Amino acid sequence: MATTESQLEEQQPSVGPGEDEADEEVETRVGWRYTLAKIKRDATARIGLYIVAVVLFIATFAAIDSNVARLTFGAVQDYPAARALPIFDHPTAIPPPGEANANAPPAFVDGGTLSHPLGTDPQGRDYFTRIVYGSQVSVSVGIVATAIGLIGGTIVGAISGYYGGKVDDVLMRLVETLYAIPPLVLIIVFIVFLSGGSPDIRYAIVGVGITFIPVFARIIRSRVLSVREMDYIEAARAAGVKDRNIIRRHVIPNSFSPVLVYATLQIGVTILTVAGLSFLGYGAQPPTPDWGEMLRIAHGRYMHSNIWLSIWPGLAILVTIMGFNLFGDGLQDALDPRIKN
Amino acid sequence: MGLLKYTIYRLLQAIPVLIGISIITFLLANLAPGDPVRLMLQGQQADEELVRTIEQRYGLDQPLHVRYWNYMTGLVQGDLGYSIHRDRPVSELMLERAGPTLLLVLSAYVFAIVTAIPLGIIAAKRRNEPTDHISRIVALIGVSTPSFWIGIMLIIIFAVQLGVLPSAGLVYPWQPPEAAGHDGYLEHWIESIRHLILPMIALGTLQMATLMRVERTQMIESLQEEYVKLARAYGVPERTILRKHAFRSAQLPIITIIGLNLSTALGGAVLIETVFAINGMGRLFIEAIQQLDYQLIMGVTMVLGAIFVIGVVITDISYAYIDPRVTYGERE
Repeated sequence: MATTESQLEEQQPSVGPGEDEADEEVETRVGWRYTLAKIKRDATARIGLYIVAVVLFIATFAAIDSNVARLTFGAVQDYPAARALPIFDHPTAIPPPGEANANAPPAFVDGGTLSHPLGTDPQGRDYFTRIVYGSQVSVSVGIVATAIGLIGGTIVGAISGYYGGKVDDVLMRLVETLYAIPPLVLIIVFIVFLSGGSPDIRYAIVGVGITFIPVFARIIRSRVLSVREMDYIEAARAAGVKDRNIIRRHVIPNSFSPVLVYATLQIGVTILTVAGLSFLGYGAQPPTPDWGEMLRIAHGRYMHSNIWLSIWPGLAILVTIMGFNLFGDGLQDALDPRIKN
Repeated sequence: MGLLKYTIYRLLQAIPVLIGISIITFLLANLAPGDPVRLMLQGQQADEELVRTIEQRYGLDQPLHVRYWNYMTGLVQGDLGYSIHRDRPVSELMLERAGPTLLLVLSAYVFAIVTAIPLGIIAAKRRNEPTDHISRIVALIGVSTPSFWIGIMLIIIFAVQLGVLPSAGLVYPWQPPEAAGHDGYLEHWIESIRHLILPMIALGTLQMATLMRVERTQMIESLQEEYVKLARAYGVPERTILRKHAFRSAQLPIITIIGLNLSTALGGAVLIETVFAINGMGRLFIEAIQQLDYQLIMGVTMVLGAIFVIGVVITDISYAYIDPRVTYGERE
C-alpha cells in the first residue's frame, strides 16, 4: 500500500492550484479558518473529525509497521520473523501448526485470552491485528479512488461547463450513461475485463475512481456554469489567456470548494463500495487483511460457529464511514449557512 | 406541452442513454485484453481449430463494428444474445431471474417508504428534541453501514440465534403452492413473506436512511413556507397543516430520490442476493462474471441499466403529474 500513499501525497498539491495568486490565497485562508472554527463548535462534526483522525492515524501507523516488517524481514509470510515485531503480529502471518489457535473467541467471552483481544480467524491469525491493518487498505483505497474520481470529474466537468454547446452535450450524455449502470455492476465489469479475469485491488481502485467521475463532473459543471460568467474570466479572455489556462487557473480553483465537501462524503461511499467489492471477491485478495474480504470469509461457514468473525469487520467499517459522514456533514453545514439545524 | 407529449418526449430522451449503455458494455466486453473464447476455456489447452470454429459460429471473427451492429439489431428485437456457457438465450435467463430481484427491490422500497416518511415527519415536527436526535442517529447509521453486513447480522440474530426466520432463498408468491411444497395459498404466502423480511430490511435500510434525511429537511422547509404560516394564523389545526399543507409539497423531492437511488438499490441487490442465496439477476451477474460469460454479462448490465433509465423516466413523469407547478420539457 506504500505506493498508494505516495500517490496520494503527489495528488494533494493539486487541491489548491490557485495558490500562486496572492489575493486569492488570503481569501481562501480566511474561509477555511472560519470553517474550522465552525466545525469546532459543532459537536457532531467534532466527533466525526476525531474518528477520521484516529482512523487515519491507525492506518498510517499500520502502513509504517508493515513497511518495517517488509524491510526488516523480507518475506512477510515468514511467521517467526514477523512475530519479532514489537507491536503486532503480521496480519498475514499464519502461525505454525503447533501454535495454531483457530477461531478463538474474543477475550471477554469464555475461552478467550488477552493475547488475542478480538479472537483469531479460521487460520489462527490474530483478528485484532487484521482489523487494524484492514484500516490501511480501506482508508487508502477510499481516499485514492475518491481522488481519481475527483480529478477526473473536475477535468470533465470543467471542460463541459466552460465550453458548453456540443462538447457539453456529448460529455453529459456520457456521464448520464455511466450513471445509469449500477456502480457496483459497472465496477465489477471494469475489474474483470481489464484484469482479464484475475481481479486485484489496484483494478478495484481504478474502477471505483472512474465510476465516480460522473458524480463529481456534475457538481463541478454546475459551479463552472456560474463561474464562467464572471467578469474576471471575461477579462482573462480579453487579455488573450488561453482557454486551457483559464480553466486551470481561474475556473477550477473557483468552483472547487463544494466539490471538496462532497468528496469527504464520497470517501464514505467509496469505502462502502470497496468493502462490497471485496465481499464479492473482486477487491482485496487474500491474504491481504481487508474488512470486506474478512466478511467474505466469515459469511456462510462461520455464521453459526463463530459470530465474532462477522461482527468486528462490520463494526470497523461502520465507525470509519460514520466518521467521514459526520465530518462531511459538519463541513457542509459550515460552508452552507442556509441549512441550519 | 401536454402531459402525454411530455411522456413521449421523456421516453425519446431515454433512447440515447440506452444506446450509450449498449456501447459501453459492448466496448468493455470486446476491447478487453484476451479474447473471449480462450478466456472462456480458462487455461485449458485450446485447440486452434476449435477456437476458430467457436469464433466463426458466434460471429466473433468479424470486425468490431459489424459485431456491434449485429448486437444492436438483436437488442432492438429483444434478443440479448446467446450464452455460450449455458447454451441458452440470454433473454430467457433474464426472464427467469428478473422476478426475484424485482420482488426484492420493490419490497425494500416499500419498507423504506413506509418507515422513512413517518419518521421524517416526526423528526421535522419535533425538531431538536430527543426524538429528532434519535432519528438522525438512526439515519446516520443507516447510511454508514454496508447492506451486506446488515444482512449477515440479521441472519445471525434472527436465523441462527433465535431461529425464527429463514436465512436463505425466497419463496415466490407467483408460483403455485404445490411447487414449493405448501398445502394452501395462505401457507405459501406467509412463507414467502417470512423469506422476504430479512433481505428486504438489509437492502432497504440504506434507502430508508436516505429518504428519512430528505423527508426531514423537506418537511422543515415546507413548515416554514408562507402558506403554512398563514394557515396557522387562521387557526387551522396543526394535524391538518401537516397532512394537507406541508406534506404534499415535501413529497416531490422524495420521488426524485427514489428514482435516482434505483441504481444503488439494484447494485445492492447483487450483494444481498449473495448474502441470502437468492437466485435473482444479481447472482446471475456474479455467476456470469465468474464464468466469464461475455454475452450474459453484457445482457445483465444492459437490462439493469435499462431498468434504471425506465425507473427515472417513470419518476419524472409522476413528478410532472403530481406537481402542477412543473412546466415540463422547456429547456433553459
